Amino acid sequence: MNLLLATLAAPLATAGLGALPGPRRPKEVVLVSGLATTFALAIATAGRFLAGETPVAFDGALRVDGLSALVLVLTAFVGLLSGLYAVGYLERNERAGFVSAKRRTELLALVPAYLAALLLVAVSNNLGILWIAVEATTLASVFLVAFHNRDTSLEAAWKFLVLGSVGLAFALLGTVLLFASGQGVLGEEMSALDWTRLIAHASALHPFSVKLAVVFLMIGYGTKAGLAPMHTWKPDAYREAPSPAGVLMAVGMMNCSVYAILRVHLVSKAVLGPEFSERLLLGLGLASVLVATPFILIQWNLKRLLAYSSIEHVGIMAIGFGLGGETAVLGALLHMTYHTFAKPVAFFSAGTLAQLHRSSDFEEIGGGTLGRTPVASGLLLLATLMVTGSPPFGLFWSEMTILKAGFFGPQLAVVAVFLAALVLLFCGFFYQVGRLTLGPDTKPKERAVLPERLDLAMGTTLVAAAVAVVSAFYLPDSLVALVRAAVRVVVSA
Amino acid sequence: MIHDFVILCAAGMLVSVFLMVGQKALVVAIRLYGVQSLLLGAVGIALGLAQHRPHLLVTASLTIVLKAVLIPWFLLRVIDRVGIRREIEPYVNVPASLLLCLGLTVVGYRVSLGMAGASQGIAHQVVGVALSMVLIGLFLMVTRRKAITQIIALLTVENAVFLVAVGATSGMPLVVELGISFDVILAVLVLGVLVHRIVDRFESMDTSRLSNLRG
Repeated sequence: MNLLLATLAAPLATAGLGALPGPRRPKEVVLVSGLATTFALAIATAGRFLAGETPVAFDGALRVDGLSALVLVLTAFVGLLSGLYAVGYLERNERAGFVSAKRRTELLALVPAYLAALLLVAVSNNLGILWIAVEATTLASVFLVAFHNRDTSLEAAWKFLVLGSVGLAFALLGTVLLFASGQGVLGEEMSALDWTRLIAHASALHPFSVKLAVVFLMIGYGTKAGLAPMHTWKPDAYREAPSPAGVLMAVGMMNCSVYAILRVHLVSKAVLGPEFSERLLLGLGLASVLVATPFILIQWNLKRLLAYSSIEHVGIMAIGFGLGGETAVLGALLHMTYHTFAKPVAFFSAGTLAQLHRSSDFEEIGGGTLGRTPVASGLLLLATLMVTGSPPFGLFWSEMTILKAGFFGPQLAVVAVFLAALVLLFCGFFYQVGRLTLGPDTKPKERAVLPERLDLAMGTTLVAAAVAVVSAFYLPDSLVALVRAAVRVVVSA
Repeated sequence: MIHDFVILCAAGMLVSVFLMVGQKALVVAIRLYGVQSLLLGAVGIALGLAQHRPHLLVTASLTIVLKAVLIPWFLLRVIDRVGIRREIEPYVNVPASLLLCLGLTVVGYRVSLGMAGASQGIAHQVVGVALSMVLIGLFLMVTRRKAITQIIALLTVENAVFLVAVGATSGMPLVVELGISFDVILAVLVLGVLVHRIVDRFESMDTSRLSNLRG
């Protein structure tokens, strides 16, 4: 069987089995082994690519080049972490009596289904398939946002779905316009929406239609990526989604929507020259970084804090791609890679902290958590060092690479503002987490705190932290090769 | 001849959106959406017959079955169950809304002028109607409060996109079109389920009550 199709089928089968009724243990084993298989298959697919093949399926509608291979492996990695954490998460919640068996089935089915849709995004070579896959990710994740069925979760789910649907309607309009621009040149077959063909026939496309299409597509997929000003669903959804789903949104969804944006960027570059979409990306990226700054400074909830940090990071990537040039693109793709390693640690430790305190609001958790839940708080501090881009961790190097490229380029003013915002964000994030973990003990007296235990969720967090720390000093050669191949895809077109 | 018919139907769709803006009864809005989808289907069938494109006939009949019949039926059932009939006073009152929408139509047409000279002669007119519908749909979304109105506005935007697909191209590839239709149906079902849950919790489907999450 085609290796690429197997990679997509594995999480789908896991989701199908997860939806069946049954006792807990076997279903959990199925989930974890299914996601581990998916990760192994994704690595194997990327390995095929590194060996010089280009894995394809369905007449080239699915195709793995350097960029796809990188996003595929990173997303499957997060999927595995999310699955492991989900098992621990359910165990904790069921002990506390928060989650019924029905909800458990929901989580066990939706997490792998969400992952399957994300992986389909990563390997699509066709704008139509891409749209269908992104819409599928939205539909798979909306009930994850509404998971706890509180007033606030319904509000978040409604915003998430309505805003996401508007974004996707825009993306669909862009897709149709791009299809229209190639009429008479590319024909009416499915393959008229393949980027490989769109880029190959760039000079024959109708430029105005392409321009209009690029704007709609960027806004549309930018909504899913959480670029400002289309980011407003993100803080709500992150706060309400259970942590295993949150990490898939924060890393998997973000990587995949950045992938979609990049594909649009490449078509735009081939047809209209680099300036048009680079300006657009630079504007959206800078807006995101600037919007995140004040909200991090005044934040009142731990998970919303992580959401604004996500908005910041997607903005940084957009700025990197918007600056263009090999160094900046390398920085942006490294940023995606390191962010994939660092963010799960932040999500899992924050999730544990919130679960033990039964709230993610700063006021209800109270300061000085290091004394009450030392392991989770310590891990959160470590994660803070990583996601704020402190040396020696990876995100510091990727940010430096982007800044370096920027300072040697023509967009000096943009880079200066960007740097100032980065410094403020660093201080703001540290201030918030420092107050929470290190400050004086201000826990409200009436609130009880559950004791920490070394369960599967905590174990997953420790493993994720170890991977993230090691990644700062050592990346496997094959991963570096994938990043380099992805850079070539983005730069060469 | 065939082009005149297509443009007539497209104009009819634009009129249906203006009528939506102009009144507050939810049932009427849903029926208007049904009529709009029927016109979209008619465009598809006319072009499919005139240009001998069987796959356009398939997607046009799909549009009529799903969007002119099934989705309106489903939405009518939802409002019947939750027992809410009228939109309360919108954020912007009706006469002002109509004037603003007129302005949005001008914007939509102005942008579409750049499409003149694209593959087919009527492309820019159809794109003009579609862009206006997109803008008015978004306007409806931000100024109306009921969850159902927001769903209808979303579906109107989606119809506008299909109008471009049928009118300005010769129809999207069948696989893509089927995938999109499937996703849209699923989205409507999910939205319906959410409306139920929201009404259960808040005893209202007024989305302005969904305002606990800020900052």
